[in-house]
Amino acid sequence: MLAEALEHVVRAIVEHPDDVDVQTKELRRGRLLEVRVHPDDLGRVIGRSGRTATAIRTVIGAVAGAGGARIDFVDVDRRR
Amino acid sequence: MTDQIPAAARPAELIQRLESEGDAAADFLEELLDIVDLDGDIDLDIEGDRATVSVVGGDLLQLVGDGGRVLDALQELTRLAVLQETGERSRLMLDVAGHRAQRRTELAKQAGEAVERVRVSGEPVRMSPMNPFERKVVHDTVAAASLRSESEGAEPQRRVVVLPGT
Repeated sequence: MLAEALEHVVRAIVEHPDDVDVQTKELRRGRLLEVRVHPDDLGRVIGRSGRTATAIRTVIGAVAGAGGARIDFVDVDRRR
Repeated sequence: MTDQIPAAARPAELIQRLESEGDAAADFLEELLDIVDLDGDIDLDIEGDRATVSVVGGDLLQLVGDGGRVLDALQELTRLAVLQETGERSRLMLDVAGHRAQRRTELAKQAGEAVERVRVSGEPVRMSPMNPFERKVVHDTVAAASLRSESEGAEPQRRVVVLPGT
């Protein structure tokens, strides 16, 4: 549910929605949501001074419930 | 509010643009509510030169957050989603569970009290730090009382100062 919500939000604000991919990883210290976007969209999801990334973390954090979730943004050229 | 433009004075083009902003916002929010399994109805309106989008119903307080923190973040993302959909930068106002409406009433009351203090003392009154929406409510209330106000300081400590009459 959380990954789906995050994917919906990110897809809605990028130029290349079909390149958006969200992976959920369960780490020892909690859940990590890894968002991959098109390289041209990385600036868009991070925003000026990280403003958009903060807004995404705030909204997803609010619906994440107990434990929350960490969100990392990665562009598709990396970590492949 | 006193700054509302009467419907007849609004150009049809502006109304059409604000309506499509509202529609794009509603699409974005409806799907989000559906995914996170929250019940809410979306009311669209136009206030002055802005589209307003209100999510009402059920248990929505998690989308408001402390001091409206989550609401502000959701508004930001909704505006970006509308920009992406329509190609137009939107100043739409999002409300959830009547939070802004309630806050507006409280702020108008506080602003009215500040106006009275300024009138009695002839000295400027500095209000608490507020976000841009809240400052606008205060500025509008002060202007309606025929006094002047200005903002000072940097976000998030930016605040309204109510000034004595000229």
